[in-house]
Amino acid sequence: MTTTADITATPVATPRRPRRRSRRIPSWVKWALAVGTPTLLLAAWWTASADSSNTFFPSLEQILTRFQQLWLFDHFLTDVVPSLANLAGGFALAAIVGVGLGFVLALIRPVRWLLEPIIHFVRSIPPVALVPIFITMIGFGNDMRITSIALAATFPTLIATMDGIRSVDGTLKDVSVVYRLTRAEKFTQVYLPAAAPQIFAGLQVSLQVAFIVMIASEMLGAATGIGALTLTAQQSFMIADMWAGVLLLGVLGFVINKIFDLVKARILAWYFGAKEAQRAT
Amino acid sequence: MMTAQRWRHSARPTAYGVIGVLGLLLVWQWLAVGPLSGTSLPTVAEAIGALVQMLGEGGFWEDTSVTAGTALIGLAASIVVGVVLGILIGTSQLLRFATSAVLEFLKPIPPIVILPIVVLVLGPTTEMTIVLVIIGCAIPILIQTVAGVFDVDPVRTDTARSYGMGRAEILGRVVLPGASPFIATAIRVSAPAALVVTVVAGLLGGGPGLGQSLYQAQTAGDSARMYALIIVLGVLGMVFQAASQLVEAKALHWHESKREVQA
Amino acid sequence: MQHDVLPIPSAPSIAGDRLNPHTGMTMAQTTPPARLAVDKLSKSYGSGAQAKEIIGDLSFEVAAGEVVCIVGPSGVGKTTLLKCITGLQPLTSGEARIDGQLIDGPPEQMALVFQDYHRSLMPWLTVRKNIRLPLRHLHLDRSEENQRIDEAIEAVGLSHATDLYPWQLSGGMQQRVAIARGLAYRPEILIMDEPFASVDAQTRFELEDLCLRIREQFGMTILVVTHDIDEAVYLSDRVVVLGSKPAHVVEIVTVNLPRERDQITTRATKAFVDERTRVLSLIKDPHRQEMADA
Repeated sequence: MTTTADITATPVATPRRPRRRSRRIPSWVKWALAVGTPTLLLAAWWTASADSSNTFFPSLEQILTRFQQLWLFDHFLTDVVPSLANLAGGFALAAIVGVGLGFVLALIRPVRWLLEPIIHFVRSIPPVALVPIFITMIGFGNDMRITSIALAATFPTLIATMDGIRSVDGTLKDVSVVYRLTRAEKFTQVYLPAAAPQIFAGLQVSLQVAFIVMIASEMLGAATGIGALTLTAQQSFMIADMWAGVLLLGVLGFVINKIFDLVKARILAWYFGAKEAQRAT
Repeated sequence: MMTAQRWRHSARPTAYGVIGVLGLLLVWQWLAVGPLSGTSLPTVAEAIGALVQMLGEGGFWEDTSVTAGTALIGLAASIVVGVVLGILIGTSQLLRFATSAVLEFLKPIPPIVILPIVVLVLGPTTEMTIVLVIIGCAIPILIQTVAGVFDVDPVRTDTARSYGMGRAEILGRVVLPGASPFIATAIRVSAPAALVVTVVAGLLGGGPGLGQSLYQAQTAGDSARMYALIIVLGVLGMVFQAASQLVEAKALHWHESKREVQA
Repeated sequence: MQHDVLPIPSAPSIAGDRLNPHTGMTMAQTTPPARLAVDKLSKSYGSGAQAKEIIGDLSFEVAAGEVVCIVGPSGVGKTTLLKCITGLQPLTSGEARIDGQLIDGPPEQMALVFQDYHRSLMPWLTVRKNIRLPLRHLHLDRSEENQRIDEAIEAVGLSHATDLYPWQLSGGMQQRVAIARGLAYRPEILIMDEPFASVDAQTRFELEDLCLRIREQFGMTILVVTHDIDEAVYLSDRVVVLGSKPAHVVEIVTVNLPRERDQITTRATKAFVDERTRVLSLIKDPHRQEMADA
């Protein structure tokens, strides 16, 4: 049965295109540089600031001590956790609304025509500028923060989803029609995965916006949260505390993005694989 | 007949869009007089009144030009810093490896994180805003420039070298044009971001401009003015977006990715 | 229970005779009923003075178990014709029927293999899951579903690749997956749109033989659109030759070759060369033929 079939039946290997010129640098040097430079920079910071008398730039040792005292014990449950919970809640809302509404707008033309100008206008407003509106309307509580985060973070995902669904390949659409997929199957098995690369790109921007608005919503007059504590520390000249807050926010920004990258790489493994295979040919 | 048909085709979305905007205003008005009356939500007339009044104030126009100008100066400085450092890092493998981890760490951190420090050192000034914009925009431009330089076909640089071009000439004639699509894209994305950072710096750090006006309106409880300012910021954002897209398209009209789109 | 159970003959069950769903009358063995009937099909884009006629008054039939190829110059509107037949696009006038039922949307008795294999497979699904996708809404029980998939995979010779993704396969293998997806769907008629146009010559021969094997193994009716005349003659029982502007049937050629075909020997026979020449001359100069007919 499969006499002739086996001839071509070897998976195409994906050889990496040899990049760059011949002047190769051994990989241990790369690693040493990649790890060494940050270490060196930290060490430089540590020694240079060791006996700093400058009020703005306390010693790194002092900052790290305050970091440990503030964030790992005192304020972890009262400030760090609520901040992150707001971020998660707002982002989750934004993701659901963004993807859902993006779907609707991409598939139902009149609704898209109706809402597109409004959407393009609102997404042009600097997201942080919406925070004062919600403060005057809802107050300084967590509701305001989650609402601000959710609203601001919806638009990148919404627009990316819309574009992603609208650019689903016509052949794939024909396939799903010819094989009489049900509407639910079409949406979940064809449109959603086909648009997933763009949706994830939108979600990543949304996550960054959510993080910014989380900080802003806390800095604008609230009493709790990482952002609030950091700004209060600055205003009351507790400089090491402020540095510790900045440090925590920086690390959080990095870690949150990294986690998202990992999730994305997992879910979109097929996409990156296909791209790699295409590049190889 | 054809033109009539085409007109109808393009007119329908526009008509729907107008209906959408009118509908939004209607809902807003209904909310302001009905369920949300007594809250901070102004009526449409109040917001538009505040907007019209604001447009007649010299201070408003000054704030607007300060915001737009600061964002543009910050953007220009970011481009210079980002492109120069990007070419430096992109053309040297050692530098690229040395900076990769640091850049990877800094990339996802928004400038708002560093805001307390910058405000502390520089105070609520335009300089503070510009520094913040540079922190926010130079890094993405730098990273894209590195990627663009790295992407330049080695065959092209080798060809240039075989024609006896010097380092500077290769840089100006081969590497920079080759990397320009990457740089242009980074600038297109960074231009609206520069405006956002400028507003953030005003709102949270007290830097002069519309962000500061918004903060003052909020603390004064002048919600009609707040909404008017939001509308202005939306318009300004759209202008920044449209302008940066236009500039990118104009700058890259020779590039193949643009040519494909036209075909 | 001890009685002899006589098989109840199902109405007119004379061997070889089939019920013509069109008329409800039995037909003689020599003229099998049309599985697919296209009658005076026309397709235009636009309306009024702007209307552009793509297909004009086109008729042909495909009998059950037949392999029919549609050939014609490129740009003649073959893909549009297929989209009309498969219910992807509405007809302007005329009709297409499958088993006597009017086609007004994709019929369940039909599967389509697209030309662009790399765009017709879901890159996020493995080979096996790609083949399973259209089966899910049929609500088969698990064992039957698996059996159908296994059979289809076996038939196209991809048993070793079931857990790979399409992009890990060569072009020819991807098109096999697309064919297997059609097979597992168990259509009565398998329609292919230039299925082998973008694979290399060696793979092309293999896939052509695969196509003929499928007909025998699954008793499937197959309609292939191609621009390759050799391929059309090699595969077909009959070849529908199209002329252009608008697309119309120039002639339907019955291929006088034995049912068993072989890439090397069949292609070398005089009969093959003659048929090929006939079809080619019809395509190159349809008017002479039409005038001769008149």
